[in-house]
Amino acid sequence: MKRFSLSALALLIAAVFAFPTYWMLSTAFKPSGQVLSTRYDLVPFEFTFDNFVTAVTKPGFSAFLTNSLVVTIGAVLLALVAGLLAAIPLSRLKFRGRKGFLLLVLIAQMAPLEALLIPMYLMMRDLDLLNTLPSLLLVYFATTLPFTIWTLRGFVNGIPAELEEAAMVDGCSRWQAFRRVTLPLLGPALVSTSVFSFVTAWNEFLYALVFMRDKTNQTLPVWLSSFKTAFGTDWGGAMAASVVFAIPVLTFFLIVQRNLVAGTTAGAVKG
Amino acid sequence: MTATVDAVAPVGPVPPAPSAVRRRPFGERALPYLLLAPAVLALLVMLGWPALQVVLISFRKLDLGELVRGEVVWTGFDNYAEVLADPEFWSITLRTVLFTAGCVAGTVLAGLGIAVLMRHIGPKVRIVLQIALVLAWAVPILAATTVFQWIFDQQYGILNKTLVLLGFESFAGHSWFSTGASTLVVIGLLIVWQAVPFIAFTLYAGLLAVPRDLYEAAGMDGASGTQTFRAVTWPSIAPLVTMSTFLSVLWDFKVFAQVWAIREGGPDGGSTTLPVLQYLKGIASSHFGVAAAVAVVMTLVLVVFTAQYLRMLLRSGREEL
Amino acid sequence: MALLATGCGGGTAAGSGELTVWLMNGSAPTSLTDELHKEFEDKHPGVKVKYEIQQWTGIQDKLTTALAGNQPPDVVELGNTQNPKFAKERVLTDLTADASELAGSQWLEGLKQSGAWQGKQYGVPFYAANRSVIYRKDLFDKAGIKEPTSRAEWLEAIRKLKAANASDPEFQPLYLAGQNWYSLLSFIWDEGGDIAKQEGEKFTATLETAQVKSALEFYKQLVEVSGTKAPKDADEQKPEQAGVYGQGKVGMIIGLPWEVDTAAKTDPSIKAKSAAFPIPSKNAGTNAPVFQGGSNLAIPAGSKNAALAKDYLKLMTSAKYQSQLAKSGMVPGTSKDTGELEASPFGAAMAKGSRNGRAVPASPKWGTVEEGQNPLKDMLTAYLTGAKDATKATADAAAKLNGLLG
Repeated sequence: MKRFSLSALALLIAAVFAFPTYWMLSTAFKPSGQVLSTRYDLVPFEFTFDNFVTAVTKPGFSAFLTNSLVVTIGAVLLALVAGLLAAIPLSRLKFRGRKGFLLLVLIAQMAPLEALLIPMYLMMRDLDLLNTLPSLLLVYFATTLPFTIWTLRGFVNGIPAELEEAAMVDGCSRWQAFRRVTLPLLGPALVSTSVFSFVTAWNEFLYALVFMRDKTNQTLPVWLSSFKTAFGTDWGGAMAASVVFAIPVLTFFLIVQRNLVAGTTAGAVKG
Repeated sequence: MTATVDAVAPVGPVPPAPSAVRRRPFGERALPYLLLAPAVLALLVMLGWPALQVVLISFRKLDLGELVRGEVVWTGFDNYAEVLADPEFWSITLRTVLFTAGCVAGTVLAGLGIAVLMRHIGPKVRIVLQIALVLAWAVPILAATTVFQWIFDQQYGILNKTLVLLGFESFAGHSWFSTGASTLVVIGLLIVWQAVPFIAFTLYAGLLAVPRDLYEAAGMDGASGTQTFRAVTWPSIAPLVTMSTFLSVLWDFKVFAQVWAIREGGPDGGSTTLPVLQYLKGIASSHFGVAAAVAVVMTLVLVVFTAQYLRMLLRSGREEL
Repeated sequence: MALLATGCGGGTAAGSGELTVWLMNGSAPTSLTDELHKEFEDKHPGVKVKYEIQQWTGIQDKLTTALAGNQPPDVVELGNTQNPKFAKERVLTDLTADASELAGSQWLEGLKQSGAWQGKQYGVPFYAANRSVIYRKDLFDKAGIKEPTSRAEWLEAIRKLKAANASDPEFQPLYLAGQNWYSLLSFIWDEGGDIAKQEGEKFTATLETAQVKSALEFYKQLVEVSGTKAPKDADEQKPEQAGVYGQGKVGMIIGLPWEVDTAAKTDPSIKAKSAAFPIPSKNAGTNAPVFQGGSNLAIPAGSKNAALAKDYLKLMTSAKYQSQLAKSGMVPGTSKDTGELEASPFGAAMAKGSRNGRAVPASPKWGTVEEGQNPLKDMLTAYLTGAKDATKATADAAAKLNGLLG
């Protein structure tokens, strides 16, 4: 009975959280121009796929999609590797300069990104990296890195070091102990941080717009903004595009969420 | 909050094995630095250098012309004087702090509740809840801000229509954006909606790392749900909750796109926050020096408000986060 | 042939072999740019036009940084509110001497002002648009109402239309958002007032005048007589008034010609049932002055192909391409011939109104007013909701405006 009421509560929360998404979806399926209605239109009256066709057939869509995937996945992987490498010593080892580095990571997260635009642009200009995908990849890597370090370190802190020590008593080297004991327990943490980095990089608009001079190098958020013209906005199209835009995020999550399960199992066995 | 940590689960960095400390061969000493090198390099070059430039720019006159021609014009503290002389600066700062506090409290409480809930429900319902959360997260800002405006629209919004249908006739034609406070509440809901998924997933991941036998032990001792939460759950995720709170403070304090998209900081400036001020004073009018000054002031305000946390971090030998 | 000589005779001009042109999303139809680029490339063998359509979102950041980049674009489109700032900062090429070759005598006055700074011309008019009253001709006919030609007739038409549709409680004879400040501008100018006056480089708000108060009074009259349900604390975009008009429960909106196309997405039959008339004046028989918004074309100072870029502007400002712009529903910026525009009833009303087109103060800081927190919008809301009387509302707005422009 208790389990039932908890499930009901969970479904209610799911409904509340999904509602704005549902609204986006239903607008995407409504014929363009049905955005405003005095009728009670919780369930749309008419369905159409036209908006999706308009969205996906906009010129350059596949190029934008490829660029976005390259930049985002590249940045997420780099941030995870560098972040994990940094999180281990920060959490497990004692060394000079540790606190200084932690402070650097903290302060780095306080800087407002909009303010860094001009200096970053000038730096990329002087490095002759403007209008190239690596420039964007580097920015996303750098901007998600402090967060990744911080979160992963928090998770490593949460895993009792005794577990590793026990493994070392059993004859594992420190590296083996980390890899066999701690790393599997970090699975869920890696999921949560990588989805976060993915969403951040995937959604970023300003830097993508400004760094990429040519249309062929642009990313999906820029494509998303093209539904807004001086003549008004094609809301049906914009919402359909937003749905298309959200699909890779959902896919990415579904792929990595197995790790949430894997992490639980590992915890159950090893813990 | 952190004092109870050691009681149950030994959380936090553990000093390396004593033997390793005494010997400390070169490889051992260099190891942390080698592991940190990629991150340090990236942070210094990609964030440190531009951040230093921002500080320098805040002492310069950098308008469109200077930027395009590459001129360097030093003006001392003029930009700061302009920002601080604004009679509304301090009320905007206060508003921003209150707004941030509200968003953070809402986000962390909701996130924690959902994380605990996820731990206690069946896998099928859990995946439904998780997908709903990820969907909220995946919605691009453009769509999210637009959809929220539609939902809260005075005449055509589904919210007012639903409220009227439920018998609350007074909500017919109710304007949710007529005062700054009401506008900020709507923006706050939007931000909490977008931020909760990450916090919930993070805390849930933290809960998963709690060894199950601790729960089993608590169960055998006959502890109630609340007692288990206090004795087992809370101590092991307290550091993550603190960390999430801290990160939320940083993010919510800096939110610009959502605040701007809803009502451009209106009505009558009533929902203007510091990032909006930075946009209005600096970026919209291409006074990048002023924008940089606001950015520096914003960062200082953030440092002041998180000072307690930073001090805790620096003072304690083995900080709990 | 003269064009060819200028273009290639410049020596270095043809060097790069590429002319980068940035126009905004939705400004020039593809048919126009395709033809123009072909003609340009034929006249300049070896030169390719690299045409990039820019999005409105974030354009300010994009332009700012691009001008500071190593390869700024050679031709850019600037909104008339952005142009004064770019002109003042001396980041554009001075085109004063080229005006005569760029159809200078035909330029739209409002746009010309926005491209000028201290007597020099940095922007060339491209196209403009202005608002008129879009109305439901079928409903007017049914109620026996003719197109009003004065404010009094307009109010009368609203009353009659309301009475004729009294059976439908959702019907609004006029949909007018509380912050439709472009319409307020028309009324202010019609009263003989203005929002700011210029002395040298200094702009001072002139909102505390009897003219502005009368304009506010008239705005309130429109709201009250029509009983519009539009929000008083939002502009015509929130929600989009064209979408509201498309619902079929609205008799009139004050809008741009293409808004009827947006409305037609909701109800395709609505365009045929609609027509337009210029915003009526208080003086019978004339139109109220209208705000003319639009774009200019400019050459960034850092362009390495300035001579080629000027040739490009010559083509774009020529009668041939200007008439194509007119055909696409814009008021052409460098041609007084609006014949093509007048083919549609909406274009005709706009063309008629455009003869009385006016501009906002050509202050480099105006962009912050319009793209930031516009005091005129807050003034309207405060006055219409009764939060402030006319004296207080105008005084507060004047103080804010002076702060922004000062």
